[in-house]
Amino acid sequence: MTDPRIRAQLRYPVDLTVPGMWHARLVRSVCASARVTDVDTSMVPEGVVVLTPADVEGLGRYGAQIRDQHILAGIARHIGDPVAVVIAPDEASARAAAALVDVSYEELPAVFDEREALRPGTPLVHETIPVSSSDSAYFGMRPMEGTNICHRFRIRTEGIPQGEPYSADPEPQDADTGFAGADVIVDETFYMPAVQHVPMEPHACIATWTDGRLELVTGTQTPFNMRQDLAVLFGVPETDVRVVVPPMGGSFGAKTFVRTEAIAAAAARWVDRPVRLVLDRDEEFLTITRHAATVRIRLGATRDGRFVAKRVWCWVNTGAYADCGPGVAMKMGYAGVGPYRFDAVAVDSYCIYTNLPPAGAYRGYGATQSVWASERVTDLMAERLGMDPVELRRKNVLVDGDVYCTGETMHDVHFEELLDDAARAVDWRPGGPNPGKGIAVMLKGMQTPSKAEVGIRRVGPDRYEVLSATTEMGQGSAKAIAQLAAELLGVEADQVDVPPPDTDRVPYDTRTTSSRSTHMMSRALEAAVADLKDNGTDHGHGRIANEGGLDLDTGQGVASSHWHQGAASAQVEVDEETGVLTLRRLHASSYAGRVVDKAAAELQQEGSMIMAIGTTLFEEMTFDEGQVVGPNLSDYNIPSALDCSPITQTILELEGAEVHGLGETALPPVPPAIGNALASHGYSPTRLPLIPERVLACAKEPS
Amino acid sequence: MLPGGAMPVEHTNHEQGAHVTWMAPRTVAEAVELKAAHPDATVVAGGTFVGILTRQGLLDSDEWISLQNIRELRQMNTSAELALGAMVTHRQIELHPDVATGWPGLRQVFAVVASPRVRNAATIGGVLGDADYASDPPAMLVACGAWVEALSVRGLRRIPVADLILDHYETSLAEDELITRVLVPRGRHHTTYRKLRTRSQEDRPSVAVAAALHDGTVSVVVGAVSGRPQFFPDLCATWVPGRDASVRSVADGYAERIEPISDNRGSAAYRTRAIAVEVRRALEDLTPAALTSRKAAA
Repeated sequence: MTDPRIRAQLRYPVDLTVPGMWHARLVRSVCASARVTDVDTSMVPEGVVVLTPADVEGLGRYGAQIRDQHILAGIARHIGDPVAVVIAPDEASARAAAALVDVSYEELPAVFDEREALRPGTPLVHETIPVSSSDSAYFGMRPMEGTNICHRFRIRTEGIPQGEPYSADPEPQDADTGFAGADVIVDETFYMPAVQHVPMEPHACIATWTDGRLELVTGTQTPFNMRQDLAVLFGVPETDVRVVVPPMGGSFGAKTFVRTEAIAAAAARWVDRPVRLVLDRDEEFLTITRHAATVRIRLGATRDGRFVAKRVWCWVNTGAYADCGPGVAMKMGYAGVGPYRFDAVAVDSYCIYTNLPPAGAYRGYGATQSVWASERVTDLMAERLGMDPVELRRKNVLVDGDVYCTGETMHDVHFEELLDDAARAVDWRPGGPNPGKGIAVMLKGMQTPSKAEVGIRRVGPDRYEVLSATTEMGQGSAKAIAQLAAELLGVEADQVDVPPPDTDRVPYDTRTTSSRSTHMMSRALEAAVADLKDNGTDHGHGRIANEGGLDLDTGQGVASSHWHQGAASAQVEVDEETGVLTLRRLHASSYAGRVVDKAAAELQQEGSMIMAIGTTLFEEMTFDEGQVVGPNLSDYNIPSALDCSPITQTILELEGAEVHGLGETALPPVPPAIGNALASHGYSPTRLPLIPERVLACAKEPS
Repeated sequence: MLPGGAMPVEHTNHEQGAHVTWMAPRTVAEAVELKAAHPDATVVAGGTFVGILTRQGLLDSDEWISLQNIRELRQMNTSAELALGAMVTHRQIELHPDVATGWPGLRQVFAVVASPRVRNAATIGGVLGDADYASDPPAMLVACGAWVEALSVRGLRRIPVADLILDHYETSLAEDELITRVLVPRGRHHTTYRKLRTRSQEDRPSVAVAAALHDGTVSVVVGAVSGRPQFFPDLCATWVPGRDASVRSVADGYAERIEPISDNRGSAAYRTRAIAVEVRRALEDLTPAALTSRKAAA
């Protein structure tokens, strides 16, 4: 059967309509920080409805992990913050009317840089930082009231004091943090800018209220979080919110938690009609981004190359609203330690408000920023010690039975094999020289704790239906679930239907993020099929839960119930006169455990690598006093087919092992692999992307 | 599909909510008459440029003249000079065997524009009429001594491409004139095009250098760095093939004289540096030794 995507038979949220629906357009703030003093709608033609901040203020605030966002902003906190919504019977009228709404502002001071936002006297983006009671706030939050820090995450291995409260320029306390035994210390600060997800399909939803019940058709990776958060916001029971999720035209993290849905729902209730809200491409750049981050790494080792201590600081720019920034800051914090043994580890990661568009989930979730820093520092240490970078890693990498910095004992870890495979792919010569070649290895956590449920119904003599909240965004989850269920049931995959998630029909699942779905669903399906076989009815139900979590002040506990493990290698050439970097080879090796669908797994891996190529070599969101520059696909390049030719990959399979998630593993190791390859030519890159003029600027000997 | 018919078609543009007139003439004569009658009308050729501008809300026109239905403008003639109808696509130029042998510089430059999807739509008349500084072809067309034919109800003019593009999105065409053909003389076989990309491989150039040998002299034209292609015949005249000092002085001269812009593809300072490098390399591509080895490789 031909994939319905190829035959243009799939209906994405953006393609859907409901008879009688009206259309919404957003009016967005032109100020980075301002109080809305007036919304003048006198020019808006009759028959067009405008909602202002005052109309929805009574509904209160929402937010995945911090409740910091109003449906419409009475205080605009970034350029592009929605301050009014225009609703009209047709899209053209809504668009035209939106341009006629005249908003007056009283400007307030703004801050854009994540470290600037910590300095004394900096304006506060939010007066208070109320923690959300949503399921999305699945770990303890540590907001620091009276600062711009909405969450701080810490790791302190045994015996290390809590240390400084917070700082933009910390003084290392080597004696207290385990560096006493280090012969060599490397300390360097790195930066990664904000980037855009660029899903081909923009955010699109239709909200309908019938008899006090909200029905929402939308592209989201988080249907149950959406249901819960909207129920709280609109003051209705969760069972009175229904979220239906058709297949999405891409997401990469952009369509998580409440994005435009709260506005669409408020608008639909106001006009008492279905309301459709679809964003333009430039609005995507204002809606959600990947966190810009400054990461500083201090690494101590003995002269013979044994890692002794590591200190990690992350300053994570979450923009105007926290969204899941606290979670990103946490994962950035522990991924920055890397898959290595240490005597002592101290990590401080700060999730920081600024007056930029909000940042949220993005493939690689926090790991990308800190792995860039951490794995560059591993190479700097190899250089200082005069050791082969692969050898230095092999010497320190975690093996089964080792204890990670969170105190958890590692099992089913394969970093040595991944490292060897990546080295082999670029013909790495042990002991060198390896000009133009670079390597990196990393670990990334899966969301923990985490729950998943799934139902299986027998709907005919040889037909089954899987009821799963796992959403389809192009990753092929429906196909993988059908295949897993078929194997367990002993039938063919085409005898299993996997309809799109509908919260009225499917049981609870945490969300489709964090590369957790195949891993969690495979286990929930086992339980469901066993239940179906045992209970003698036509309905089986499976439920699993991973326990765990980290102590808020020491970072000790269980960070991840299993680890995403990956390595990458690269070979590059550099034109030293123009700074143009040419990628000759790029290889990723990821541990997959048991593979469900080899072709789909390879596509996931390639997708991660392609996004990594773009964000390593040229993608960057730039801002001018908070105004995003060039929010379109002419000014903001993404990789083309021609940029992807050097890609190769290995998926490390293990018979009888658990299914491991693969959706993101091949992204975080790529930037440092390329950066290390560049460094081998005599450059010291600390800032991405590696556009030619930045390459020239980091040449050790300017030509 | 585009609406057909020579006569103006009135319909509502749902995207903008405005009333617009879409004109789709079938002959060049009809087209120039429409242009004379509607001087403010936006001309659409392949649509790759005006399509983006319209989508981004930068262009909002009430009147449009589409050249899509004019078959005469799709003709290509290689028997004398290369004569390209304004609606000949980039892809047709790239793939035509006579262009590869007679005008290799053109083949090279049209083959590196964006992606095949874009090249199948974008036209030679369009890329010159847009006068977008970041396009690849203008620099090479200037280096090859190309001309455009501009037609209006008042008659036909021939304009060197070097005099056509004046500044950002500004040409020397009168408001009633249409580009109907582009003419490229024979005899410039030794050419080189150096496209410096700083981002995706499908990106437009940060710095583009086109160079062509003819009658013992060279034309070096730098594109994509300022409002119009940059050509300094006096500097080119000082070139002594194979002599490093002369090559460097031409290259440094270009870098000194050009005041580049800053954009997402490079800062002005970076471009100044890259111009010196790439002009030097372009001249090195055209030394007798380099041409001999290129021939041997072919």
